[in-house]
Amino acid sequence: MRETEVKAAENLMDTNKNLPERASEKKKQRKRHFGRRILGALPPYIMTLPAMASFLLFTIYPILDMILLSFYEWNGLTERKWVGLGNYDYLFNIQIDFKIALKNTLVYTVAVVFFLQLFALIFSVWLQKDSRINSFVQRVMFFPHLCAMLAVSVVFSWLMDEQGLFNAVLEFFHIPGLRWLNDSTTAMISVVIVAVWKGIGYQALLLLSALKSIPADIFEAAELDNTPPLRKFFRITIPLLSPQLFFMLITITLNSFKVFDSVRIMTNGGPGKSTLVLVYYIYEYAQANLKYGVAAAAGVVLLIFLLILTVIYFRLIGKRVHYQ
Amino acid sequence: MGEIILKNINKTFGNTKVLEDLNLKINDGEFAVLVGASGCGKTTLLRIIAGIGPATSGELFIDGEEVSDLAPGKRNIAMVFQNYAIYPNMTVKGNIEFGLKNNHVPKAERERLIAEVAESVGLTEYLKRKPNALSGGQRQRVALARAMVKNPKVFLMDEPLSNLDAKLRVAMRSELIELHNKLKTTFVYVTHDQVEAMSMADTIILMNKGVIQQQASPEVIYDDPNNVFTAQFIGTPSMNILPLKNGSFVGYRPEKVGLTPEETEAFYKVRGRIITREMLGSETLYKVQIISGEHQNETVMVKSLDSGFQEGQDAWVQVALKHLYFFDGKEQRIREADRAEDYGACVRCLKGEEA
Amino acid sequence: MARLTRKQKRAVKRAAGNTVNLIFKLFVSVLFLFPFYWMVTTSFKPYLETLKFPPTLWPQDFTFEGYVHVFQELDILSYIKNTLIVTGTVIVIQFFVNVPAAYAFAKWKFKGQGLMWGIVMTGFMIPGQLTFMTVYFMFADWGILKTLWPQIIPTCASAFSIFLLRQNFKQIPEELVESAKLDGSSEWKILWRLMVPMSKATMVTTILFSFINHWNAYFWPLVMTRDEDLKPITLAIERLKNLEQGLNYTDIMAGNVILVLPLVILFLLASKKIIQAMAYRGMK
Repeated sequence: MRETEVKAAENLMDTNKNLPERASEKKKQRKRHFGRRILGALPPYIMTLPAMASFLLFTIYPILDMILLSFYEWNGLTERKWVGLGNYDYLFNIQIDFKIALKNTLVYTVAVVFFLQLFALIFSVWLQKDSRINSFVQRVMFFPHLCAMLAVSVVFSWLMDEQGLFNAVLEFFHIPGLRWLNDSTTAMISVVIVAVWKGIGYQALLLLSALKSIPADIFEAAELDNTPPLRKFFRITIPLLSPQLFFMLITITLNSFKVFDSVRIMTNGGPGKSTLVLVYYIYEYAQANLKYGVAAAAGVVLLIFLLILTVIYFRLIGKRVHYQ
Repeated sequence: MGEIILKNINKTFGNTKVLEDLNLKINDGEFAVLVGASGCGKTTLLRIIAGIGPATSGELFIDGEEVSDLAPGKRNIAMVFQNYAIYPNMTVKGNIEFGLKNNHVPKAERERLIAEVAESVGLTEYLKRKPNALSGGQRQRVALARAMVKNPKVFLMDEPLSNLDAKLRVAMRSELIELHNKLKTTFVYVTHDQVEAMSMADTIILMNKGVIQQQASPEVIYDDPNNVFTAQFIGTPSMNILPLKNGSFVGYRPEKVGLTPEETEAFYKVRGRIITREMLGSETLYKVQIISGEHQNETVMVKSLDSGFQEGQDAWVQVALKHLYFFDGKEQRIREADRAEDYGACVRCLKGEEA
Repeated sequence: MARLTRKQKRAVKRAAGNTVNLIFKLFVSVLFLFPFYWMVTTSFKPYLETLKFPPTLWPQDFTFEGYVHVFQELDILSYIKNTLIVTGTVIVIQFFVNVPAAYAFAKWKFKGQGLMWGIVMTGFMIPGQLTFMTVYFMFADWGILKTLWPQIIPTCASAFSIFLLRQNFKQIPEELVESAKLDGSSEWKILWRLMVPMSKATMVTTILFSFINHWNAYFWPLVMTRDEDLKPITLAIERLKNLEQGLNYTDIMAGNVILVLPLVILFLLASKKIIQAMAYRGMK
């Protein structure tokens, strides 16, 4: 209402431009207008202020501080001491455990990505049809995704106990029991099993909704073309799902790089350093060893990995719908 | 070659019956058009023939063979989908070739067939393109080529022209007719557009609520409809249907009405007043309110070559006896040939001789 | 006759295929349900029975001693109380932080919007695993380490919620906002009286995510708390596992059952809604 009044007044004045005594009034009007414009521009800043403050304080600043810290030696109590690239030297040249952590993280990620995608693909195609049993199986598979990784890890530690159920089952089939989490050759596999078991239902769900968005008539056309099931899977289903599959590849990789909970609960990075992963390394160096500089440097390495993946991720979002 | 027989077909989705005890025969080499409003079961019927939405019960014969438990790919049929359903990840050539590869056609033979079919639908220069680089009309041709290359006994088409613009649709229509004349294969074509049905079909199969209303050539279905539904579905504007005192109905087509300022010697004549007037070009469409006789205040549509009548003007609405259709209380047609007594009663009723 | 047998053969084949298929599906269901079954049954076994090998499939001596330990000796309720206080506070604060921010990003154009959105997205991708060191010392400086705030404050702005709500607000037609403005409603009134009621479903989704995330939170409280009386339920379970007198799986599983139970109930009540929300989250 007021804005229109102001505009009307302005118009009125425009017609009386030549009258000099109006000029000062016009200036006043403009000033008032300017003030209102500032006020009018304020709300979005006020509305975003708390959120922005939070992100700046708890995300942006800590990240910058971490990068800075990675060039210092610090135990959390005394003054920070500049060491240049010393911490990175420590990571890559002096101690071997960071390289182990890096390698383990990569092994874990590759394994989880591969098996999650594989099983999610198989299950989503297998449970595709709308039926009661299928939706039941979908739900049952999905539930672990809701549970804390901690809860799942605790249960699996028990199942994988040397006196646990898994070994009892193996024994039943006259297969010698495994040492699961207590053996450096099987510990990583065990951690991967848990991650895959927990994530499968969720990933299958994502693929299922992607499958449902593919027009049914394409599959019908394939049927009319006398396409054998396997050929249909490889030549039609997978290519049509490829955008979603690639998207999943990125998100699973992102999450796998951050693995911590299961390792902490099930193996504590052991036995030996067989399940030592990046975040566990950071955690240990910060919490136990009080070598914050080293932990920060390791954090920077993780940050770089995450950045690369995130850039790909956001590029992808724009190009989601390949076909149609 | 491609005769199709359906016997006692039932189809239910959950608890709803879509088709009940349906029987149908489509002759070899015929261009059969399944037509009806959306939800009438025509697409369901087509999908039963294709095998991608099998019947709940009943028998289906293609070329004399019972095929209802045969996979769609083994039925020697081809289908063109409404949205074309071409494989977006394959080139045009890949799309056409896919079915041949599945059927283990040798490479040299495949190349020959693809070249031939691409030539005939005008896709030769697009063979290496991906579908998303094609126009709607071109995609339609890919779908057609993919069907043709299999040399099937039966072509099934599910509203294949509905996604094209009006001009292209008319052009494709005549191309399809030509294609049918050339191939002489059975075509089963589904559409909701009665004009499309009339212009393309050898046989029209008109469906309503899962029941076949009439199966006949376009001429017969227009001139000799079986029931009120058929009479009103075919032809625009639809047939005028008016109730008679004896519980029957009389009907006449707007284009068979003589609209004159003076009374003539026609069998059926009533006074009417022009309510609206629509100039269509060669003809003019009038909405007329009847102002005399037992149908007073009813409105009828009249299509006339005479564009001279104005809104508000009075005129005579007149129809010859041979252009009048009578229907009984169940909306079934009363023909003079087989229900002479009922026919006579209706004629007398219309004349006002008997109540 | 020949045709009939062909038909019959097919029918038999199909029936056999369906049965095998069904058996496989049941097998897969067992694969995913069994760990939960194992957790529950173990929690009712006496300690000595859990040591048996091969283990018993069903508790021979049914006992509640695990639960008694968890409630009496561990005092799990005080941990649950911490979790609930943290979760509840976060949900309330998040509402007042995220909703206005999402509204601003959805319906306003302002200078620096791109940069600010970039900051939100950065918050989306940077995990607590990278920020905890600095934040911990920051809270130490503020002198609030001996409170629950370190578990609450950093999660009060949720990039994901802002993202979700912004999508929702964007779908509300501009005309509605315009006509409300013409009626003389202030920005705040439009936000709370128009936008919020029209986005109820999304609000519920964000609350759901917040609840699940905080109920399950493990890493953040692990690095933020030293005092036992500030720890959430997840750390209580971890404590059970690290007790010096060795593993007592009866107690651990009893605690774990309590940790998982609310999620089971939630899932049984609203599995469809949860699955939809999660699917949307993964596809966004």
